[in-house]
Amino acid sequence: MIDSNNTLSVAVLVKLEPDLSEGSVTYNPDGTLNRSLTKNILGPHSAIACRAARYAKVCYNATVKVCTMGPPNADLALKEAMSICDADELHLYTDRIFAGADTLATAEVLKHGILRISNSNDRGIDIVFAGHRAVDGETGQTGPQTAWKLGFNFIGNVIDYRVNLKNRSVWAKRRVDLPSLYTVIEEVESPLPVLIALDPSYKDIYTTVSQRLRLSRIEREANERSKDYKRYLKVWSAKDLGVDVRYVGLAGSPTIVYKVERIPKVKASRRSRVVNADIKELREVAEYIVNLVIGER
Amino acid sequence: MQSNDGIRSDSNNYSNNYSMDKYQHMFVLFEHDDGNALNVSYEMLGEARRLMDYFNSRYSSDERVIAIILGYNVKHLCSKAIDAGADAVIYAEHEALRYPVVNTYTKVISSIVRDRGLVKQAAESTSSVYIKPRYMLFGADSIGRHISATVLAELNSGLASDVNKLVIDDVTITHQYKTGGKPEHYKRVLFMYRPDFSGFLWTQILCLDNKNPSIAREYSPQACSVIPGVFKPLQLDGNRSGKIVEYKPYIDESDLKYRILKREIIKDEVNLEDSKVIVAFGRGIKDDPEKNVRLIEQLADLLNAKIAISLPLSKLPFNVSSSIKEKYFIPARVVGSSGKKVAPKLYIAVGISGAMHHIVGMKDSEVVISINPDIEAPIKDESDIFINARLEDVLPLLIDAIKSIVSSNKVVGKSTISKQ
Repeated sequence: MIDSNNTLSVAVLVKLEPDLSEGSVTYNPDGTLNRSLTKNILGPHSAIACRAARYAKVCYNATVKVCTMGPPNADLALKEAMSICDADELHLYTDRIFAGADTLATAEVLKHGILRISNSNDRGIDIVFAGHRAVDGETGQTGPQTAWKLGFNFIGNVIDYRVNLKNRSVWAKRRVDLPSLYTVIEEVESPLPVLIALDPSYKDIYTTVSQRLRLSRIEREANERSKDYKRYLKVWSAKDLGVDVRYVGLAGSPTIVYKVERIPKVKASRRSRVVNADIKELREVAEYIVNLVIGER
Repeated sequence: MQSNDGIRSDSNNYSNNYSMDKYQHMFVLFEHDDGNALNVSYEMLGEARRLMDYFNSRYSSDERVIAIILGYNVKHLCSKAIDAGADAVIYAEHEALRYPVVNTYTKVISSIVRDRGLVKQAAESTSSVYIKPRYMLFGADSIGRHISATVLAELNSGLASDVNKLVIDDVTITHQYKTGGKPEHYKRVLFMYRPDFSGFLWTQILCLDNKNPSIAREYSPQACSVIPGVFKPLQLDGNRSGKIVEYKPYIDESDLKYRILKREIIKDEVNLEDSKVIVAFGRGIKDDPEKNVRLIEQLADLLNAKIAISLPLSKLPFNVSSSIKEKYFIPARVVGSSGKKVAPKLYIAVGISGAMHHIVGMKDSEVVISINPDIEAPIKDESDIFINARLEDVLPLLIDAIKSIVSSNKVVGKSTISKQ
């Protein structure tokens, strides 16, 4: 039924990140993250990228491959990703020499990773999905840098997309925030292949009955298969990927973190009057507020 | 000093030998929307001017601030860039450049900064061995964030994102990889400071050559994206003069296949900036987020206030109903350096500790009242009134008190607390 020219092959780049949600996260007394007590999960923006891949699976019958670079336990992120998008394959790029990579050195590994998993068909990966940014690194650079290294068009801040399988093109709606001016919603069209970074507000919306039926089947399947995720997992070392070790990890990172310091407290700009939660004092505050903002209305 | 990578000439003479530098100047991507400049463009040029004035006097150099402007009908921006601090402008006009397209912009920007003849036209102090920029600045927004990443991938160098402080200095570093474990001296290093996600830590990112012989490599430019609203622009000065040079871009057929079909400017969903009263909340709601947000809504309703949040809440750390999540836990409500800057008549900070990136967004408020059980919370120093208690204990009492005062209308002249 499906003509091979009408197939779609997508990959998702995900990341294992500290779980910053309340109840999971632990902060040190000085307000900084306690990494040893905070557990790691699939990053929230990675999860959004997985939902975009699920949309491709539901609507275009896409094959989905989820990839991550990280320590061996980053397979947990792959497992969680699989439970969302019912991935066909999981790929973990792990090697001690990848550790400490900045975004450029990470993108170098991911480029090779995407190329290596592309061999299964002639056309390779059509769409790579990536999250907006990681909650710990927060640079938002890895997606575009991977796209550039792959020679893919990059489309960022995407809030909706469709694929035209016949024309081999993608239509995307994106949110462009222009601080000090305004926000623009932009619709673009690009030939495949592309790398799409999802805006945090992206939602996969299924409008037809057949889409919803397919979705629930895929959800069931994803849930089932992810219990046995290791069957679908392939682990790649630097050697397996064929990367030049001088361009990955710390050796391949142009930038270093030189120092981490506490942001100095700025000089107190106001002399605060301290008030306790007793009824009399709060009533005085209430009067002050009312005088200030309601009195003059 | 020994020369480890064997590429640079004698580093002792380096500072006197600027005319033979392969890497020169500070390039700034001037961001605009179809001819309307973003403020961050002026902020970057102001900071670039200050940094390069310092650089030139410290290193007895003559390196320039060069603005790059891509677009369609953008000539009017060139003189503005000069007025704002640039020594020179290189601009490129083409219909395909009217709005930023990451891949097309990346090709054109990379071609511009690598074109020695062009750069020499813009800055006569450009050396005969010039290869690439020394420094580059972009805005940390929907335009610059992605383009900075792809340009630096193309130029094969390092990038820091979301920077809010920049310093140029020399430094001696011992690094396992960069220097092979030996101390090495680096000159003219751009120290790029970025606040981390917690808002309490400042990370200094440096982009350094590998002087370790086994992986010797030079990394230039040193580049970053800067947070909008952080740096002060210079007063626009019409008396400043500078070179304006046109670059004729080559637009590949394949680039034209990426098409912008439609653009629509949307209204801000929240519009905090025009609000006279803002009630903002932070992680302090954690013990019962759903109930506490309802209390905050009540207070805001009473005061006809808009509701804002601190940055961590936009990252959905709480399990709350989706109606609350979608209404409040959104980036459009964030006050701070990666959100909005507000200056209302009254700012009430509920359960917000006061990380620097939050303070930046609200410090110009006329009156600040905060509620926090931690007497050491930094928000205290930014508050006129600091209510030292849990919000659960304060808000119900405060709401009742305001209600009773409003209804009994005993308003005038009764206030005993005043701004000190």
